[in-house]
Amino acid sequence: MDSTTVTVEIPGALKVIFDALEKQFGDRLLGNDFFRGELTFTVAPEDFVEVATFCRDEPSLAFERLDCLVGNHFPGRRAAPFEVTAHLTSVSHTTRLRLKVTLAEGQKMPTAIAVWPSANWDERETWEMYGIEFEGHPNLVRLLTTEDFEGFPLRKDFPLRGTVGGRIRTDLKGKM
Amino acid sequence: MSDAMGLPGIPRGGSGARPLFLGAQGEVPRVARLDSPPAVAADAAGTTAVAGDLIDDEYIPGIAVPASLEKLLGFGRTFSWWPLLFGLACCAIEMMATAGPRFDMSRFGMEAMRASPRQADGMIVAGWCSIKMAPRVVRLYEQIPDPKWVLAMGSCAISGNIWDTYNIVQGIDALIPVDVYVPGCPPRPEALWQGLEMLRGRVKQSRHAYDGLRRIPARVAAGE
Repeated sequence: MDSTTVTVEIPGALKVIFDALEKQFGDRLLGNDFFRGELTFTVAPEDFVEVATFCRDEPSLAFERLDCLVGNHFPGRRAAPFEVTAHLTSVSHTTRLRLKVTLAEGQKMPTAIAVWPSANWDERETWEMYGIEFEGHPNLVRLLTTEDFEGFPLRKDFPLRGTVGGRIRTDLKGKM
Repeated sequence: MSDAMGLPGIPRGGSGARPLFLGAQGEVPRVARLDSPPAVAADAAGTTAVAGDLIDDEYIPGIAVPASLEKLLGFGRTFSWWPLLFGLACCAIEMMATAGPRFDMSRFGMEAMRASPRQADGMIVAGWCSIKMAPRVVRLYEQIPDPKWVLAMGSCAISGNIWDTYNIVQGIDALIPVDVYVPGCPPRPEALWQGLEMLRGRVKQSRHAYDGLRRIPARVAAGE
């Protein structure tokens, strides 16, 4: 994401979040975006856990809940084609926030399990589908596909058709 | 019903003690012709008396119906085919609609969808089956006691439909023998109903998809 500054008016509840994050981290935030009433911040991989912990513990933010943590693949972006997005929800303030991390091929990012335990399976799925490794994850094994599956199916270069990587090789012995 | 299927010479209700098999005393029991069933009337005690009693007190004419036991069992099973309570994907919604009050599967004795495979008479594979789910489907199928029938519901269970992808089984018949295929995406409850009627036809005839198979396809694929 480009480093842009917000030009539109941010409504009150999100303005509090925006100001608090800007005040706390300042230039360490790589960029922000406000689009259709939704606020997004881009952070560096090494800052991710610190920003996430702040979002959870700061009383004016209070993002108690990690809605979901997803990956994305943009082959057009040569330098950093991968992106991890964390959707946060604050139940007490009824607000939402996105945290984005852009990653190069093979670049790792720290796990957010210590902040939100529900990140466990989300990170497993993100690793399984995109090959994004999460450092410090206790159990980074395949979640939805079989154990001997090869490849990362949601990457754009993965074949759309055909049972590549799994079906025939799957050993049914001992599982039926 | 019991009169029509009664064995020849077996005493029926309230006529005093008689030997069970009259033929054992050297006398051949009379067998009535099928086109002339005896008149049957119920007396006040609820027991039935056959008109032949009035003519010949010694022998009771009955009707011999040649039937194999398997056909009789199939006839009975037709009216109490209990599917496994098991849905894989969106087709399961239509399966629930079929079980619900509007289409009302219970008219045919199928309302009792058993949550345990050991109490079921077969399964409706409703929806796409992922490769990770495949061993579980096979396991559930194998846990159903014989005789069992399988209905593949919807295009995904039949052929994988549009999901020619890395994670979907391209047709459940690659794993387990299938009796009836119901196409559709998803099939309307009427289509499932018709499929169940066809399945009931097979139940009545005691025909199974696994007839003649030594192993189910999944076991063959696993090299067992």
